[in-house]
Amino acid sequence: MGLLSILRKLKSAPDQEVRILLLGLDNAGKTTLLKQLASEDISHITPTQGFNIKSVQSQGFKLNVWDIGGQRKIRPYWRNYFENTDILIYVIDSADRKRFEETGQELAELLEEEKLSCVPVLIFANKQDLLTAAPASEIAEGLNLHTIRDRVWQIQSCSALTGEGIQDGMNWVCKNVNAKKK
Amino acid sequence: MATKAQEKLSGACALVAARSRFVRFHGYEGPGKLSGACARVSARSLCLPVSMATKARGGSQSERMKLRCLLLRYYPPGIMLEYEKNGELKMKSIDLLDLDSSTDVSALVKDIQRVEPLITASKTEQVTLVIRRLQEKLGQYSNHSFHLFKVLRAHILPLTNVALNKSGSCFITGSYDRTCKLWDTASGEELHTLEGHKNVVYAIAFNNPYGKVYTLIGHCAEISSALFNWDSSLILTGSMDKTCMLWDATSGKCVATLTGHDEKILDSCFDSTGKLFATSSVDGTARVYHTATRKLITKLEGHEGEVSKISFNPQGNHLLTGSSDKTARIWDAQTGQCLQVLEGHTDEIFSCAFNYQGNMVITGTGEINTIGSTFLSHYLLEFPNCILKVYPLPLCHVRAHGSS
Repeated sequence: MGLLSILRKLKSAPDQEVRILLLGLDNAGKTTLLKQLASEDISHITPTQGFNIKSVQSQGFKLNVWDIGGQRKIRPYWRNYFENTDILIYVIDSADRKRFEETGQELAELLEEEKLSCVPVLIFANKQDLLTAAPASEIAEGLNLHTIRDRVWQIQSCSALTGEGIQDGMNWVCKNVNAKKK
Repeated sequence: MATKAQEKLSGACALVAARSRFVRFHGYEGPGKLSGACARVSARSLCLPVSMATKARGGSQSERMKLRCLLLRYYPPGIMLEYEKNGELKMKSIDLLDLDSSTDVSALVKDIQRVEPLITASKTEQVTLVIRRLQEKLGQYSNHSFHLFKVLRAHILPLTNVALNKSGSCFITGSYDRTCKLWDTASGEELHTLEGHKNVVYAIAFNNPYGKVYTLIGHCAEISSALFNWDSSLILTGSMDKTCMLWDATSGKCVATLTGHDEKILDSCFDSTGKLFATSSVDGTARVYHTATRKLITKLEGHEGEVSKISFNPQGNHLLTGSSDKTARIWDAQTGQCLQVLEGHTDEIFSCAFNYQGNMVITGTGEINTIGSTFLSHYLLEFPNCILKVYPLPLCHVRAHGSS
């Protein structure tokens, strides 16, 4: 193998593209998280009408992140985005205890979806900067995450506002990108 | 003069839309993977030109807003407005979450106009059109899982082939019982039996939009492939008798017999314009001919086994062949030079095709007549066109398909 063919090989192997679906209830912080990932300004974020898409380079991967609005009215359209998803990221507002049941229900339904079967799931226990936030361990217990057997999963506490914990979560994502394909 | 200005703007809008984040992101999702994103159906229907600048309600001179184009968003249903405000390009959306097939569109447009100054009276028609299109999309059956619809006991002997017409309203079956039958898809009713063949019917095809029946007699062995050119004026047949014939579709007469292959012809094809056609054979070669002159342009030599499948790329400058030597090859249609050998299959390749853009190739191996992803081991090979021309050597990255 000559140098030229090695060069050609390098040229023909672009970053692996990863399709990430970012879901969660309204006001969970999905769009803030997305903007934080893309290092964009997060001071003026309004409820997502429809969806946002961003492409982020990370550890040799091109992460195409699809952030779909979480309002109740929009949730039925989530399924239109399931196809070809490599990683599911589910965002929870850790301080909104009143809606833990609702968010757990939505997550349970997502995990039942055939098109998302075996897709690794990362749960972000967001808004840890708030004093009233429940710790990730409590949320994991409340959502019965330990009963998930059909895929790899991880819960990561974070604050989309300060950026804390997000990189750890994304490292997990990059490590588990191919978990589904094996 | 107004229409001229509008035309000009129409072009400008299309360009803007193509550059906007919205459309670009949809683009890289790639064909066949269309899932949730909003789509630009066509430049005409989506990038609606807007020729008049709109003043914001009660706004001052500096608050001039100008609608640049309308975009459809399917899931969740809505319209995106791309507009200019103080020279800056902005985007906002009108959510139509309650839209369904029973919604009164004209009342809805009026409601929108009441609150959205960008949608002026002159845009009523365009917005109505866009909403109708959304309605149409929402009304579509969105669950794409297939189910067994009907079982037809079509022929007394095994089937060899099936072809649907373009709209899918009817289809034709060919059989070892030497007949073809035409069926109504919805009812499963038999419309016609086409009899007359003296032996097994191996290949069938529909012309567009509708057809006459001719019996093409001339080959002295089984016909392995039969197809129409783009305007259905010519029929090309390849046969086990080592020849290939061109027929005038309007008269049913043979206009040319092409000899040259040393062995049975397994497949034949036209390019998209019908200027060229090609044949592939058991002798391990393929040949490219000029349709008008019937002259041989080039021979494609290199496969180490029979060439079972041949097709042109949509541009017509390259050919793709699949062979029992477990490789597929890409050729230059004019020079006959092999540009690339696509390896990876462990079994004979029975089928291969270019995608619509011609930048991707799919090859299939496995049992013949078994249609199902579990039985076909597909792999996708991607290569940008430009690179192909520069480096006529293996340069594709192979991606296993099926599990993703």
